Amino acid sequence: MSLLKHAKQYLSNQSTYSHLNAFVSLADPASILSRAEAADSIPDAHETTSPGLAGKLIAIKDNICTTELPTTASSAILKNFTSPYDATVVKQLRDAGAIVAGKTNMDEFGMGSHSTHSHFGPVKFARHSGEQLSAGGSSGGSAVAVASAQCWAALGTDTGGSVRLPAAYTGVVGFKPSYGLLSRWGVIAYANSLDTVGILGRDVESVESVFNKLNSYDPQDPTSIPPSTRSRLGSDRNIMSLRIGIPLDYNMSTLQPAVRRAWIRSLKALQDCGHTLHSVHLPATQHALSAYYVLAPAEASSNLAKYDGVRYGTRAEGIDGTPDSVLFAKTRGQGFGPEVQRRILHGAFTLSAQAMDNYFIQAQKVRRLVQRDFDSIFYTLNPLVKSAPVLHMDAVDVLVCPTTPTLPPTLSDVENQDPLNAYMNDVFTVPASLAGIPAISVPVDLDPSDRNPELVEKGIEERAGMQVIGQYGDDALVLDVAKNLFVAATRPSPYSRTSPFITAWGKNPSSPADEVVEEAERREKLARWETEKLESRKVQAGGKLKVVPGYGLLDKYPSAAVKKERKRLGAKAKELGITLEEYRAKLAAEEGKDEKPEQ
Amino acid sequence: MLARSAHATFTSLSKKRHICQSCLRRASRAPSTSTGRTLIQSRTLQTDDDAPFRKRLKDAAKTKRKREHASAGSTGDQNIGVNSRAAKWELTVGIEIHAELNTARKLFSSAATSISETPNTHVTLFDAALPGSQPHFQKETLIPALRAALALGCKIQPKSSFDRKHYFYQDQPAGYQITQYYEPFARDGHITLWPHDFPGGVSPEDGPVTIGIKQIQMEQDTAKTVHQPPSTHLIDFNRVSHPLIEIITLPQIHNPTTAAVCVRKIQMILKAVNAVTAGMEMGGLRADVNVSVRDRTAAAPGPGHSFYGISGLGQRTEIKNLASVKAIDDAIVAERNRQIDLLENGGVVEGETRGWALGSTTTKRLRGKEGEIDYRYMPDPDIAPVTIGPDLVQHLANTLPTLPDDNLRHLVAQEGGLLSTKDASTLLALDDGDRLDYYFDVIHHLRSTFPRKRKLLADLGKVTGNWVLMELGGLFKNQEWSAKRVPSDQLATIIAQVFDKQITRHTGKLLLSKKFEGDIRPIERIIADENLHLRPLSPQEYSDLAQSLLDEKPDMVKDITEKQQFGKVKWFVGQMMARSEEGTVEPETAEVVLRELLHLPPMEQK
Repeated sequence: MSLLKHAKQYLSNQSTYSHLNAFVSLADPASILSRAEAADSIPDAHETTSPGLAGKLIAIKDNICTTELPTTASSAILKNFTSPYDATVVKQLRDAGAIVAGKTNMDEFGMGSHSTHSHFGPVKFARHSGEQLSAGGSSGGSAVAVASAQCWAALGTDTGGSVRLPAAYTGVVGFKPSYGLLSRWGVIAYANSLDTVGILGRDVESVESVFNKLNSYDPQDPTSIPPSTRSRLGSDRNIMSLRIGIPLDYNMSTLQPAVRRAWIRSLKALQDCGHTLHSVHLPATQHALSAYYVLAPAEASSNLAKYDGVRYGTRAEGIDGTPDSVLFAKTRGQGFGPEVQRRILHGAFTLSAQAMDNYFIQAQKVRRLVQRDFDSIFYTLNPLVKSAPVLHMDAVDVLVCPTTPTLPPTLSDVENQDPLNAYMNDVFTVPASLAGIPAISVPVDLDPSDRNPELVEKGIEERAGMQVIGQYGDDALVLDVAKNLFVAATRPSPYSRTSPFITAWGKNPSSPADEVVEEAERREKLARWETEKLESRKVQAGGKLKVVPGYGLLDKYPSAAVKKERKRLGAKAKELGITLEEYRAKLAAEEGKDEKPEQ
Repeated sequence: MLARSAHATFTSLSKKRHICQSCLRRASRAPSTSTGRTLIQSRTLQTDDDAPFRKRLKDAAKTKRKREHASAGSTGDQNIGVNSRAAKWELTVGIEIHAELNTARKLFSSAATSISETPNTHVTLFDAALPGSQPHFQKETLIPALRAALALGCKIQPKSSFDRKHYFYQDQPAGYQITQYYEPFARDGHITLWPHDFPGGVSPEDGPVTIGIKQIQMEQDTAKTVHQPPSTHLIDFNRVSHPLIEIITLPQIHNPTTAAVCVRKIQMILKAVNAVTAGMEMGGLRADVNVSVRDRTAAAPGPGHSFYGISGLGQRTEIKNLASVKAIDDAIVAERNRQIDLLENGGVVEGETRGWALGSTTTKRLRGKEGEIDYRYMPDPDIAPVTIGPDLVQHLANTLPTLPDDNLRHLVAQEGGLLSTKDASTLLALDDGDRLDYYFDVIHHLRSTFPRKRKLLADLGKVTGNWVLMELGGLFKNQEWSAKRVPSDQLATIIAQVFDKQITRHTGKLLLSKKFEGDIRPIERIIADENLHLRPLSPQEYSDLAQSLLDEKPDMVKDITEKQQFGKVKWFVGQMMARSEEGTVEPETAEVVLRELLHLPPMEQK
């Protein structure tokens, strides 16, 4: 495997799929090739067990600042803007040796669910010439760039589902980490309290490797989680047997049957792997979407107030702000597209003195309820919330639910949709955004009965996006479950998906024939290895031992007495203001013996 | 005191740029001082009017002269009519004061605060609101803010937070100002105005006045716009995000002078605790006032309007951007008169925002209620709430510099002080406290040089105060104060020499003016070089000199002895001094001799 060879293929794909309009600007090909060549000479760059980023092409959503290419947020008001600085995440990628492939098209300032609200024209998703589907949004350019193998991975931003939704539509992996883990310094704000840098890739491993490079404290970002808190995040659990939650509130009437069946298949696949399934209720979910569409536009109306054409960006011709007009109205009227204008007006209204109490304040309350909903069902306690540990018999480790209610609609359907219906697309992704918790969308197979025979004939693999959601800081667990789900619910093997010689939907007409053959062989080999791994896991899980969260590997679930004891210790720990683990360690140190159950 | 120092500032300001020169000098010498004082910088705040401050002051002076000229012969007091109405109408005023905090860095970026440096050289990405940039709260800016709040008796809030206040203007790069709307860092303070704080030492409310302070909040300053007619606006972002505090008083002020004195005193307190950079006239402070009137005689006052829990008030108007103590006084008088006129003619006061131009006689409507901006306050999602620990508050309270009221008590009450309250408060008010420092320096020199001169030490405060305020003050008339002009040890030497009768008081003044004019020789040297030592004439020589003068002017002698024009004795004293060598005639002795010869009773003891 040669990075140079891959880079050449990515560049070739960029021209093959240029009609998909995934990029706003592309990096200089000569520079990409020379960097890839240089990376080839680095030892260990090909290490597969822990994929490094050296020499890998990564696309950057155009609302993340880069010094090399313009940063437009797909808005006319920034169409000529080049940032004087690199975003922290871009700097981290460069430092890791990654190559910036270009800047990807998006919904203007991240506002949209189909990547059609762009000054540079809509992003298109077409797996064959007869197709024109929605790429999802707002990171549609990043998703299509990854899906059509124009780059190895891409950065997006996720405010209410903007990474997960396009990932689901285009059949790639899209990860929104816990809020505050990845730096937002240099990421153009849409709604700061929700904005999260997200990662799109062809498999969970590549997404994870990018995440690991970016997951560190950045003093430049005031909302970046400090090292002291990071050290408390996540739980070190054996994931052999987890409790998987099924949020029944997500099984709504608007859910497309094909998506529902894919969901059921995914759950069965996970059960086969030794996990247990449990239904849970998230009652605040039904209000989450409304709350989101109050809070996000409110913050947007504030964040976008800076675009006045005075210091940077485009400015309207002539005098702007006469005694009879509002200052900057002309510049902003010309510079912002209709959807951005709609959300600014919407946000300005909900923040106004007359509406503040009924909209913004209420929405904040709903947001807290949504957070509380999640806290009440997850076994892991929210490390950011100081509350008494509430233990539930039915607490779960992660949730699994669809990313979107439907498969990707056609662009003509989207055009005829009214804005309110477009907002409905975000109904499954918004709750995790409001709660700031990690969520990942994984492509899973449709039920054979739901496959489009025409596409099957063309050899095009059709998939739905399935979401894994975990407690705040449980990003590693979410990624692990995603890997498990991907392997168990997607055929053929996703492990070969990072190759530039195939696309996310399988075929790549621009690949050299020998590479396609080689690729097919590699796939088969990997699929065998994977099946073995899966089987061994099932065997292990079939035995008596179970992993019980918080207790380790047990032959049965803890008795009421054991749970009561844990609750007592939890309350003591809380009194002392330390975690349960710290309290146990303290007791152990005091009494000179380890109170922890044997692992 | 108020009138006097306001006038002094006025005149001295009209001679220079609107940047405070004394602060600049102070800043330049600060690192070398041994007192370890924090660097104080002067900065300016933007007012709505872009005309240079100097020009506005000139215009104001011109308008005032014109008005005085026009009303010459009449009463000349525009308030006279109002006094009779004061019984009927009660005025109520609340004030919002904005002051630049004395900090090294901006509120939300690590850029240095600066005064008059090259435009746009202290601007970070966030200051210019570049896409993707985020605020970095500089927690050190809390220190001067907390000092200010403690000095004004506020309760420091353990948790406070920052909000965005939205409005579009080219000097507001983010499209919003970050301020503390929902949760300010300090609440429930108060300030007491004593009679000596008022002009002439008389409080209009008979005794001390205490005014409640509702809250103090921290906020960002805006950029500075330099208007170049006809249509160019140059913007300097150096000032963006400079930390400000806004002090909001309760509407508990019922007199224009009280309002002006209140602002002046707040200014002094902020200065004393080293919380702010410059005085109001220097542009470091500006105020908005809320003015309302209500009819005291109304049989049953309606529910009226209520602000900050104080109810039964009349409809208020707000006057924005008052940049001097005098402007506050004048603007409130004008607005009160306008409202009373309006009400007496059956009109209704509208809730509106009004402006005041320096030197004008009436306030001007800026915008009505319908034109009010909805600031759409929103908690800033990028800025975590600020938690202030009780230990920090306690430490700052323990190390708070002496407040002006305590300083004054100390000055008046100190052993051998005898400095009058009037002189003490004048010293405190002058030259941003520089004069007071100088006074202490002179006292210190005298104490260490003459530790055993009990009589001198007993009178030290009064004598030194007189020299520093009257003699030296006279020389500095209309000139910028500088402690270097006559070094404090040199003035101490002069005072000591006069006291020791080594030189006459007249010689002392002469020496003072020599030093003032730049004579670099030490006092002792000048005395030796120019033979200025007191060499008293013998009693016979005094008597002869006096007699010869009296003989020269028999008609004047007649005036004195027959017409009782005793003042003319002083003329003879002056002549005696003039006709003899410097340092040989003491005026007191001369007068005694003259009075004897004229058979007048001895001088009454002063």
